[in-house]
Amino acid sequence: MYGGDEVSAIVIDLGSHTCKAGYAGEDAPKAVFPSVSSELSTISGGRHLSCVTALVEPHDGENNRFTMPICYFGGKHEILPKGTVVGSIDQMEVDDGDNLEKHSGSAPDSEKGKSKRKLYVGSQSLGFRRDNMEVLSPFKDGIVADWDIVDSIWDQAFRECLLIDPKEHPMLLAEPSSNTQQQRERAAELMFEKYKVPALFLAKNAVLTSFASGRATSLVVDCGGGSTTVAPVHDGYVLQKAVLSSPIGGEFLTDCLTKSLESKGITIKPRYSFKRKEIRPGEFQKHDIGESFPTVDLDFPNTTESYRLYCQRVISSDIKECVCRAPDTPYDEAAYSNIPMTAYELPDGQYEDCHPRDLGVHFPVASSVFYLFDMRTIPGMESYAETAASARGLPQMLAGGTASMQQLKERLEKDLLEESPQAARVKVLASGNATERRFSVWIGGSILASLGSFQQMWFSKSEYDGTKSTGLLTSRGNAPKKFSSFPFEERMLAFIVSNEWNTEGEKCFLFFPLRGLDQQLLAFAFIGKPKSFCVEALINHPSSLTFNRFLQGKQNHLLYSIFLRLSISKSPDASSKHQRTCKETDKASTDSVTGCVEA
Amino acid sequence: MEAVVVDAGSKLLKAGFAIPDQPPTVIMPTQMKCVPEDSSVDDPSLSEGITIDPIVRGFISDWDAMEDLLNHLVYTSLGWEIGNEGQILFADPLFTPKAQRERLVQLMFEKFNVSGFYATEQAVLSLYAAGRISGCTVDIGHGKIDIAPVIEGAVHHIASRRFELGGADLTKLLAVELGKSNPLVNLSIQDAEKLKEQYANCAEDELAYEKSQQSCPNEQHTLPDGQVITIGKEKYTVGEALFQPSILGLEAHGIVEQLVRCISTVSSENHRQLLESTVLCGATACMTGFESRFQKESNMSSSAIHPAVVKPPEYMPENLSQFSAWVGGAILAKVVFPQNQHLTKADYDENGPAIVHRKCF
Repeated sequence: MYGGDEVSAIVIDLGSHTCKAGYAGEDAPKAVFPSVSSELSTISGGRHLSCVTALVEPHDGENNRFTMPICYFGGKHEILPKGTVVGSIDQMEVDDGDNLEKHSGSAPDSEKGKSKRKLYVGSQSLGFRRDNMEVLSPFKDGIVADWDIVDSIWDQAFRECLLIDPKEHPMLLAEPSSNTQQQRERAAELMFEKYKVPALFLAKNAVLTSFASGRATSLVVDCGGGSTTVAPVHDGYVLQKAVLSSPIGGEFLTDCLTKSLESKGITIKPRYSFKRKEIRPGEFQKHDIGESFPTVDLDFPNTTESYRLYCQRVISSDIKECVCRAPDTPYDEAAYSNIPMTAYELPDGQYEDCHPRDLGVHFPVASSVFYLFDMRTIPGMESYAETAASARGLPQMLAGGTASMQQLKERLEKDLLEESPQAARVKVLASGNATERRFSVWIGGSILASLGSFQQMWFSKSEYDGTKSTGLLTSRGNAPKKFSSFPFEERMLAFIVSNEWNTEGEKCFLFFPLRGLDQQLLAFAFIGKPKSFCVEALINHPSSLTFNRFLQGKQNHLLYSIFLRLSISKSPDASSKHQRTCKETDKASTDSVTGCVEA
Repeated sequence: MEAVVVDAGSKLLKAGFAIPDQPPTVIMPTQMKCVPEDSSVDDPSLSEGITIDPIVRGFISDWDAMEDLLNHLVYTSLGWEIGNEGQILFADPLFTPKAQRERLVQLMFEKFNVSGFYATEQAVLSLYAAGRISGCTVDIGHGKIDIAPVIEGAVHHIASRRFELGGADLTKLLAVELGKSNPLVNLSIQDAEKLKEQYANCAEDELAYEKSQQSCPNEQHTLPDGQVITIGKEKYTVGEALFQPSILGLEAHGIVEQLVRCISTVSSENHRQLLESTVLCGATACMTGFESRFQKESNMSSSAIHPAVVKPPEYMPENLSQFSAWVGGAILAKVVFPQNQHLTKADYDENGPAIVHRKCF
C-alpha cells in the first residue's frame, strides 16, 4: 500500500445539531448529518424524551445582563413561565428546583442495561418512520451525556459516509470551548480504544473558527444549533474564564417559530403523515393559493412524540432559514407590521405567510458580547502593557449555523457600536458564504490539520498507551514527564518544584510564550523574589538546553499561565504549596488567565 | 489519438475512444472467470473456474483482477501499443474513498504508463450527456443507486445519497419470486438476470400494482436448457421494489421520496433548478414503464416543486441512459485533455498519487 507523503487526517466536529466530518485539506466536510440518533424503544407508551429543549432561565452564576428571552408570538409578548421548557412534550418531569436541566426526563436506557442498542444514525435512517422509534440526542446541557450515541455517530461517519478505516487516519476532534477534563478523557478513550486511531488531537471550537479566518486573536461568536457561545481567543488560546454561553440557539428559534405558526392556526405536518392523491387520472391539482390540496392524512399511531417533533423541526428550520432575518432595530411591533409577507409553501401544499422577523436572538448574542467586555475590562485590561489597545479592539468572528441568518452581521455590528465602551474598535467578520459560516469550525480544523508545522503536535497512540496508567494528563509526582504532543490548550508548561529543581531561596517561575504553532519555546526564569510561584509542569521539550540558554538571555515575555488542570500530586505538601501559589498568582495575574511579568 | 474513456460498473464495463455521439465501442461484462493455469480471462469461457467480480457495488475491490481486466481492455480491445499509451479518463461512483482513487492513479501511471489521467464522478458526466451542468442525477446501477445534486458541475456531496441497492438485488428478488411460483424449475442467477432484462416491468401506480398482484396474465418462457417457466406478477414485483423497498426487506423510502428529501437538504434557492432537471440513468432505469411511473410518483411527492425528468438531446444515441456516464466522459475528455487540465506523468512523478485530489474533482 502506498504510503503517502501527506497525512490524510480526518476532522470531526460533533455539534449539538449536526455532525460534520471530512478529510483535512478539503474546503467542506463530506459527511454532514444530524447528531441525533433514533432508537427503537421497547417501553410501550413510556417516557418520551425530546431532542433538544431550550432553556428559558439563564445559567446560574451569570450576571443578569441576560434578560429572560422573550418570545414574540403573534405580536403579543409572552414571557414564558419559569421552568418551562420550550418544545417540551408530555410526560416529562420538569424539575422546578433545577432549572439547569436541558433535557427533562432521565437518562434513556438504564434499564436496558449494557446490551447492544440498535441506534439508527444519519438522515437516511432518521427519515424513515418506524414504529416506536425515539429520537435521542447525546448532548445534555451542551456536553456529552450518552457516549453510545456519540460512538454510533462516529461509526456512521467513518463507515457509511467517508468509507474509511479509522486505524489509518489521525483524527482531529473539535470540542466545545468549555469542555471538561473528563469529557476529553472519555473522547480520547473512545477514539483510541475502540477505533484505534493512530493519533488524535482535540481542539477548541473557538480556536478553529479563528484559524478559519486566518487570525490567531479574535472574539468568536458562535451561534450554533444548541447554544450560542462567545469566546475570546488570544494567540491561539481560548481565555477560559471569559467564555460565555447562552442556551439560545438555532433550535430554540425553530421552536419559537413553530409555536408562532401554531398560534396562527397553521400546523406543520411532518412529511410522513400525508400523501397526495390523484384527483383524476392524468390530472393533478394545480397550486392555487387558497385552494386546499387533496392530501390524505396517514395515521401512524405508533409514532413516538419525539420523532414527530423531530420531523416537524426539520420543516420549521427550513422555513426559518428561508424566511427569517435579523431585524435592524430592536423589536418594535408597529414597524414590523409594515414588512411584507413572504409566502412559503409547506410540503403538504399549504401556503403560509410569515413575517420575516427575528425572534429575539439579538438580545442574548449582543448582551453576552458586552458582558464579556465588562469582564475583561475590570481585571485584565489595565495590566496589559502595549497590547491594551489592540486587545480591546479584537475583531469579532461570527460563526455557526444560526449566524447564517441574513443581516445578523450588520445588526450585531450596529448594536456593538452603540453599546461598546469608548475607544474600542468594533469589527465584525463573517464570511459571506453561508456554507462557510456554517462549517467554519470544521474548516478551521481542516486548515489546522493540513499544516506542516502541526504534524508534530498530534497525540499518538503510543503516548496514550504510555500515559494511560497514570491518567491522561497528569504527571507523576517527581520527575517531569515528557509529552511531545498534547491537546492544544493543555500544552502548558509547568513543573513540580521537586528536589531536583528546587534550591533554597529560589523558586522557578516558569512561563513560556506560545505565539501560534510554530514556536514552542520553553523558557524559564529565576526570579529572586520571596514570593514563590510553583506551577505544575508537564515538560514539553528536553528542558535543559533551553533552560540554560534562557538564563543567559533573560528576555521579556508575556506570561501565559494557564491553570487548566493540576496534577494529583502524591505528596501532600506539594499540593498545599500549589494552592498557596495559585492564590498568589491569581492576584498577580489577571483573572488567572493572562498577565504580563517582567523578568 | 483520442483519449480513452472508461466507465467501470459493477456489471458492465463501458469503454471506448472519446467520440461523444456514439455509444461506447466496448461494452463487456466486468465479471471475470479465473482459470487456474492461466491468468484471468474475460467472458465466461469454456473451462470452469471461479467467477470474480473486481467491482463490487461500484467500488473496485479486487485490484489484481481489475488490473488484468484493464490490461485486456486497453491493449487488446482498444488497440493501444505498449510504450505508446494515451490518455485515460475514469468515471467513479459517488463517495469513492480517497485511497481508492489514489490507488487507481498509481496503477495507471506505474503499471500502464499512461500519459494523462483524469477521474471524475459519474453523476456529473451523466448530466453532461443530457446537455446540462446543473441538475440532479439518479443513477440506478447494478450494484448501487446514487442520487446526486450537481450545481454548475460540482457535486454537492453533503446532500448526495448512495444506496447499496441495485440491479443485482432485483435479480435476486426475481429469482426468489420465480422460485416460489415455479418450484420445479432450477433457475441460475444468469438466467434470472436475462429474464429480468426481458420481462421486468413497472406498474403504472400503486393501485395497478395491487391489481397485478392479484391477477395477471402469465407468459411462458423457455430457458436455454429447455425448461419452461411461467412469469406472471413477478415482473411487476421487480419494478415495484424500487418504489417500495419494503418488498426487498429494506426500511427505506421509495426512490422518488429519497430524491425529494435529498434535494430538500440543499439550500432552497437551488431547489427548482435541481428538481426540474432530473436525469435518470443507469441500465435499471431502462426498465419498461419506469420513467412514466417515476414521473407519476414525483407528481404526488411531498414537495412543492415536482421533480421533472429531462430528455436527452436528439443527437445522442438511443438508449442513452445505459451509458450516459460514458458519453458524458467522452464530452468531458474533449475539453479536459486538450486544455491540459488533466494529470500528467510529470505531475504524478513530482507529487505522488495524492495530487489526484487537487487536480481532478
